[in-house]
Amino acid sequence: MKQQLIQLEINNQLYEIPVTPRDLLVDVIRKKVGITGTKKGCGEGDCGACTVLMDGAPVLSCLTLAITCQGRKIITIEGLADEQGALHPIQQSFLDHGAVQCGFCTPGMILTTKALLDKNPHPDQTSIKRGIAGNICRCTGYKKIVEAIGAAADRIATREVK
Amino acid sequence: MEGKKFSQVGRSVTRIDGPAKVKGEAIYTDDMVMARMAHGKIKRSTYAHAFIKNIDYSKALALPGVLAVITGEDAPNKWGIVPQTANEVTLAVDKVRFHGEGVAAVAAIDEETAEEALDLIEVEYEPLPVLLDPFESMKRAGEILIHENEPDNVLHQGEQLFGDPDQAFAGCKYVLEKKFYTSYVNHAFLEPHSSLAHYDPQNGQLQLWSSNQVPHYLHRQLSIVMDMPMNKIRVILPAVGGGFGGKGEASSSDFCAALLSRKTGRPVRVTYDRNEVFVTNKGRHPCHMKMKIGLDQNGYIQAVDFDNTLDGGAYAGWGMVVMFYTTSMIHLPYKVPNARARVRRVYTNKPTCGAMRGLGGVQPRYAMECLLDELAEMMGVSAYELKMKNAVESGYRSVSNLHVPHTEYKKCLQTVVENSGYLEKHGKQPFGKGIGLAGGYYISGTAYTLYLSYKPHTTVLIRVDTEGGVTVHCAAADIGQGCNTVMAQMAAEVLGVNYEDVHVVSGDTELGTFDLGSFASRVTYASGVAIKEAARQINDKLFEVAAGMLSCRAEQLEVRDRRFYSVFEPKKNIEWEKVVDVYTNTVGTLTGIGHFSPPRLKGIDLTRGERVQGANIGHSPTFGFSAQAIEVDVDVETGKVRVTKVTEAGDCGQAVNPMSVEGQVEGSIMFTLGQALYEEMHLDKDGRMMNACLHHYKVPTVMELPEMDTTIVDSYDPTAPFGVKESGEGPVQPTIPAIANAVYDAIGVRFTELPITPEKVLKALKEKQGK
Amino acid sequence: MYLDEFEYYAPKTADETFELAGRLGSQAKVLAGGTDLILNMKQSLLKPQCLIDINGVKEFQGLIYEAGKGAVIGAATKISELEHSAVLRDKYFALHQAARELGSTQVRAMATIGGNICNASPAAETSSPLVALGTKVVINSAAGERELPLEDFIIGNRKTALEQGELLVKFLLPEPAPQTASCYTNIGLRNAMEIDAVNMAVNLTLEADNRTVKVLRLVMGSVAPRPLVSVEVPALLVGQALNSNLIEKAAAAAAGEAQPISDIRATAEYRREAVFVLSRRVLQEAFNAAQEV
Repeated sequence: MKQQLIQLEINNQLYEIPVTPRDLLVDVIRKKVGITGTKKGCGEGDCGACTVLMDGAPVLSCLTLAITCQGRKIITIEGLADEQGALHPIQQSFLDHGAVQCGFCTPGMILTTKALLDKNPHPDQTSIKRGIAGNICRCTGYKKIVEAIGAAADRIATREVK
Repeated sequence: MEGKKFSQVGRSVTRIDGPAKVKGEAIYTDDMVMARMAHGKIKRSTYAHAFIKNIDYSKALALPGVLAVITGEDAPNKWGIVPQTANEVTLAVDKVRFHGEGVAAVAAIDEETAEEALDLIEVEYEPLPVLLDPFESMKRAGEILIHENEPDNVLHQGEQLFGDPDQAFAGCKYVLEKKFYTSYVNHAFLEPHSSLAHYDPQNGQLQLWSSNQVPHYLHRQLSIVMDMPMNKIRVILPAVGGGFGGKGEASSSDFCAALLSRKTGRPVRVTYDRNEVFVTNKGRHPCHMKMKIGLDQNGYIQAVDFDNTLDGGAYAGWGMVVMFYTTSMIHLPYKVPNARARVRRVYTNKPTCGAMRGLGGVQPRYAMECLLDELAEMMGVSAYELKMKNAVESGYRSVSNLHVPHTEYKKCLQTVVENSGYLEKHGKQPFGKGIGLAGGYYISGTAYTLYLSYKPHTTVLIRVDTEGGVTVHCAAADIGQGCNTVMAQMAAEVLGVNYEDVHVVSGDTELGTFDLGSFASRVTYASGVAIKEAARQINDKLFEVAAGMLSCRAEQLEVRDRRFYSVFEPKKNIEWEKVVDVYTNTVGTLTGIGHFSPPRLKGIDLTRGERVQGANIGHSPTFGFSAQAIEVDVDVETGKVRVTKVTEAGDCGQAVNPMSVEGQVEGSIMFTLGQALYEEMHLDKDGRMMNACLHHYKVPTVMELPEMDTTIVDSYDPTAPFGVKESGEGPVQPTIPAIANAVYDAIGVRFTELPITPEKVLKALKEKQGK
Repeated sequence: MYLDEFEYYAPKTADETFELAGRLGSQAKVLAGGTDLILNMKQSLLKPQCLIDINGVKEFQGLIYEAGKGAVIGAATKISELEHSAVLRDKYFALHQAARELGSTQVRAMATIGGNICNASPAAETSSPLVALGTKVVINSAAGERELPLEDFIIGNRKTALEQGELLVKFLLPEPAPQTASCYTNIGLRNAMEIDAVNMAVNLTLEADNRTVKVLRLVMGSVAPRPLVSVEVPALLVGQALNSNLIEKAAAAAAGEAQPISDIRATAEYRREAVFVLSRRVLQEAFNAAQEV
């Protein structure tokens, strides 16, 4: 199948990548770009592990054709820490609250959280739960994740006040 | 003697692998890339039971990009985690026994090509009758056998008798007998199996990276299947995305990757799709149980009679062990003076069942805790009173010879009852609202290796020098539960350094020293013993050097906060690094090595000359306990059960990392809440799985998260290293019966079959109204 | 789980799209959000030779509301946009509710309302409220445009009235009459990520007395091959002053009308039971809401 070049901005870096129409975004990110924080838990849109942010919206990269992403801005989990390597407050909060166990859901969970807090900086518990309901975690029982998200929202709010 | 004052143990610290995980930098097997790496895929059977007449893969082999194809003939050696019952092959030979069993595997230059090649493999089958029900399977064994050498379609059956239950029942005032059924569920860990093999034809060395929780047992099985000595094989675990028992044995992906690598001379990776995770299963055994409990007039348990038919699926797997665990589990956490268990593990043409979190405990616990709840009602006392009355105490030895060195089970019950307001709520809420109480326990390790060897179960090597600081080597498996962090904390505790200073090398059969793996909630206890021993050897040597440097006697020294202090003159102190520097400069790298062998209880009680039945099973150095009070809200019109609050109290001994313990407890509860209310694999009449995906196999989402109040009760097992016990499998035990008891409290119906779906609830309510 | 190969087209204008759809005919499938289509292709349930990606066509997107005239929703409008639309919440509450319940945050960010309808799953979330709200669809092709009531557009399980070369381009929602309220409800095993065992929407207009039903539409999902518009419930309730007895009767009638099947999610018997309970609840809820308009 003929390959065609597409431009993707991933984590603020521009990539020109040859793809065929059938290539899925998750595979392009993992195999062609070579950053593997984006996980494949089900390949069917049911677990949320492959979530990336596309122009700020959380999307399932396992159900997204890469060719449809021409010119889009994508943020993966690798793009969340700042340039100096300091953790994003959501990442720090997940760490501090014990919201990480096996870590396989973590990238998708953190990115979905990022999209949630961008839209709703002060979510109540129900909004948090609704926001991440499409991200399956089998280890933590979710409690610490919900707590971590609440604390991250507070942390971001405080940081922005400063 | 050891005190309970700790500085590193008992602290909630962040996981040492946490930063990499939140940054997406942790490397899992499917993330790895190797030069010339090829990709393997497995062709799966479209029949649940059939002879394989012919496999023609010539077209697949001719497809450009395909490098090799293998079938069952390429690796006929049988493997199995329990060597006595090993009957599984890498790919089916002559016959398939479940829908989805591997029949051939392809290696190709990319996954797309490998997948395409699978469609080109032609398999000719001669279908056989499909046996999906264990009772039918036993009944029709004369007509059709799933394994030619297993006469009744039964892997094994056992009977254990302790005391005289029949006589005891005769003298009981309250006797209750009921049937229970637990459903067919899968672990649904988030990372599908993945294996990357690299066979080097020049030196004959095989390396396998695998998403697995028992690197040692995988190592052994690889040696059998590949016909290679173990010392030519190295198993390495990259980050592992959950296991819950499902990665507690080898997987076909491991063998296919290894065989294809040997055949192609390239590294080969096999990663499962989600549906392959389901169709290869190894999840919890559905159990068809009958349990009878008798109490005397004062409410003391006099006898338990247990009958269990385990639906094992196509192969043996962990089956024998699971079967005997279900017998063992009736002996605790209550005092049972007379007991009988009759159990059988039956073959059916289903994806095989195996080990799953709380193995063997969850099913009988459901039966026992529900029966006790009902017996309490018969007696007119609270379930709390009945359970307290019968609860075991420290030092208890069951009739089956299980010894409980230490328990705070009563404190667990007491705490949940107080914290939940159980006594004030139970039986007193409006129709539709209910609260249920249940308890449970689990082992903290086992007494024997599966292949009956007497070697230590864990070895820890600690290396200290000026270059590496402290490095703990142990081939234990961190599958997300956080054992690397806990091992670092325990080592730091004894060495007097910070846990952040400790490097842990685990999950590697070459760089790590021997360990059996992550199952049976054994790692904290077992590694704790070995770490203590190894670290003390280190300390002994450093104390001598420090004593010289401080001009005092070694036995007068202590080490904490990275300094050696004179106990009598704290002003005499010196930095830890300086002492290490001196030691390294004069002697070189310092090592300490520690081992753990479990206390062994004999199969035959020599003093009394009696055979102790089931002696291999259930013996553990110590046991963890948990009690839960769960509140539900039943929509009596739609039948939907909503868990609104879980109050838990657990005895995990000394918590090494309380935040991590909480994570284990909360995770256990949600994991099991799924089995209670939502999860079940469905097969059609031909044995094809109808919901082999996370859309139709319904694990709890965050929307199902109830309010959770968990307490780590004050506990310290003086016989255990740092006072520790398990915490990751005890808390799964009470969840199902606590929910079932709560539903009864809410609507007056006792559910004895899982999952408790809205349909079942509504049907039961209608029947009740009809009466 | 990899896709078969196909040709990819990304038209920029509606006309270009119609031309492509006409030319490629049955070989082509329209790619909008992809959450159903790509999944079906991964599972080899669909094997189109061409995909026409309509996400670059501005004309197919967006929600416009004009007071007195109603709302026009482009077929390629994301569910998340509907979920967060204040107009939908105020004027077409049932659709707002259904949009909130659909899939997950990620699915809502990807999926489109046109995709949800054209996929024509009996369990689709948005079809019941759209039909209840009296929605018409606009269908276009190179040959021209036609309109159909939505209930005539979905003609069966995974079947629509689209002819070769035609595309569904927009939804026309009439302006709600005064004293009108609409509600949506659903039931599945869990409280998220479900395919509904039953869903239901009602659109209810009261007379000036604030008690008597003037117009009513009750639509059930997942209990028939296509959205089931109740005939008996309006027959029982229109012209009547609502009370709980009547609602109970109407609910029983709805349960009688349902034609559920048994599948992995629920038995027919349970679905019928759920229709009874949900219709009673949703009618009561809509009645209360209409009184407060």
